[in-house]
Amino acid sequence: MTETRDAAPPATDGGEPPDGSEFGVGDQDSDGPRIEFRGGKWASTVPLVFFIAWAIFQSGVLGIGDTNGLVVGALIGTTLGMFLVRGDWKAYADTIFEGMTQRVAATAIVAWLWAGMFAETLQVGGFVGGLIFAADALNVGATTFPAAAFILCGLLATGIGTGYGATVAFVTLFFPAGVLIGANPVLLFAAILSGAVFGDNLAPVSDTTIVSAVTQDADIGGVVASRFKYAISAAIPAFAAYLIAGSVMSGVELEGAVALRESANALGLVHLLSMGIVILTAVAGRHIVEAISWGLLVAIGFNLLFGLSSASDIVAFTVTEAGALSGLPVVVVGETAGVGGSLYAGAVGFFPLIVLTLLIVAMAQIMIRGGGFEAIQTFLLDRVATTVRRAELTMVLGTAAINGMITINTAAEIAIAPYVARIGEKFNINGYRRANILDANTSALGYIFPWAGGVLVGYQVMVGPDGLGAEYGPEMIVNPIEVVPYVFHGWFLVAIFILAAITGFGREYIPDRVSEEVSRA
Amino acid sequence: MSAFEKFLAGWSFRGSKPDYAAGDVIEVMVTGEGDRSGEVVARIGDSTLRIEGAPEDALNTRIIVDVESWDDATHTGRATYRKTVGESAF
Repeated sequence: MTETRDAAPPATDGGEPPDGSEFGVGDQDSDGPRIEFRGGKWASTVPLVFFIAWAIFQSGVLGIGDTNGLVVGALIGTTLGMFLVRGDWKAYADTIFEGMTQRVAATAIVAWLWAGMFAETLQVGGFVGGLIFAADALNVGATTFPAAAFILCGLLATGIGTGYGATVAFVTLFFPAGVLIGANPVLLFAAILSGAVFGDNLAPVSDTTIVSAVTQDADIGGVVASRFKYAISAAIPAFAAYLIAGSVMSGVELEGAVALRESANALGLVHLLSMGIVILTAVAGRHIVEAISWGLLVAIGFNLLFGLSSASDIVAFTVTEAGALSGLPVVVVGETAGVGGSLYAGAVGFFPLIVLTLLIVAMAQIMIRGGGFEAIQTFLLDRVATTVRRAELTMVLGTAAINGMITINTAAEIAIAPYVARIGEKFNINGYRRANILDANTSALGYIFPWAGGVLVGYQVMVGPDGLGAEYGPEMIVNPIEVVPYVFHGWFLVAIFILAAITGFGREYIPDRVSEEVSRA
Repeated sequence: MSAFEKFLAGWSFRGSKPDYAAGDVIEVMVTGEGDRSGEVVARIGDSTLRIEGAPEDALNTRIIVDVESWDDATHTGRATYRKTVGESAF
């Protein structure tokens, strides 16, 4: 046992902590539903069920990975639910606000904004070029290229926290180079996706890591440290599997050659230090905002000191006409006035997900107030999760199922998080363990199936108008369905958590070690 | 706990029925009501700790308890409420 706290969590706005009594928070299990629905408590699930159906249709059936589209689905679902309410609809509207103002959403949003700025600053600072330099310097050949891609893409994704971003960067720059020197395209694409899974799962600045920690009342640094054992247990056999498969699976014949050296830049590797600072300060117990801020300052310093990027790559005020201030390094003249740069793009990139998160937690709150949440939870606890082993298997398979359906994995994670919290708590399973169970399948399955968001963004780079297919020919396009069996790290991660639930590997109970309070996330 | 220790924690196969000893002071989540009036239960894995003296609204809160007795054969024990330190994540 480490630390405990004596009071309710502080309010995020610095005011008095809300006791929730107005809405019955804290005694929801003993009180009757606060919102009465036509059709009973199950009708309170309509907003979330509608949203999930929309998400499956949009991302799973049509293959459209647009988070803004999910926002519209959530808005329509939330509106539909209101028509099923008996009596005054004000209570329903109030519940939307109540859900959106929950601390769990605010904590994730704050972390995302900082993580976004950091990740984008590493991108403009030539981190990818640094990794390509490393591959070139190590003289990686065709058979070892997939294994190297796994490690290097894993490093990039751990640094920038976004597996999607790492996939795009590596499929754009690394993939054609590997295929042209004779690596198998299917295996190479799968290895890149595996690296993305690794980073999405482990990085303290990853959106899924942040959600998994804050929804389970655990600090992000502690979650990363406790997650390392699962990540490395899957990564080592995955690396070996890429080495073996790389020597067995042959490449394709292509004319021409892409010189890795063109985009290689040794100085970009200094961002390994920027990344290390964030990881170490977070694990050492500093608040994630502080940890990322330190990393960000160092990254900006490196960018400017070594000429990896200009000041206007980081912050840019674009004006349409030159003036007295256009001599400043952050003021540029362009066709359209606006603000840009890595800090801007990094933070803004999370805006759709932030809005979606607010709506999902609002829909979940409607389910809680309408009794639907408790009904599902009671069913699971009475019929399915009757022992701790079955409870953990339920959590593992439940997150797998919803992530298999909703392929924008952060959205899926937010939807299932309350159940993982409650089922786990009913067996006193530690917050770190719950966070790890929640994030493993979320990270893995987001990059395995052909309709998964991570696979689609990589595929888009190949088939887009100016994509790799147009540039090099059809050999450079990989059918997403062929990739499925070879995303070794993803599959091994899923397997390890099924085994962990059965055998108790890594299991920790609340009395063993208390998660450090989420207020410092 | 140091950063290094955080990386090493949990590298083990943990059973489904953890045991405790009289005199332990532990933090638990209250998971249910007890059979007797004023008694609540914390299910820890598949072990059970019955707690006396907890507040009426203790369900789904995290509390510190003093373990008074523990039976390793049945993996059950009795404890006394000390203080409330937190609540459910949701």
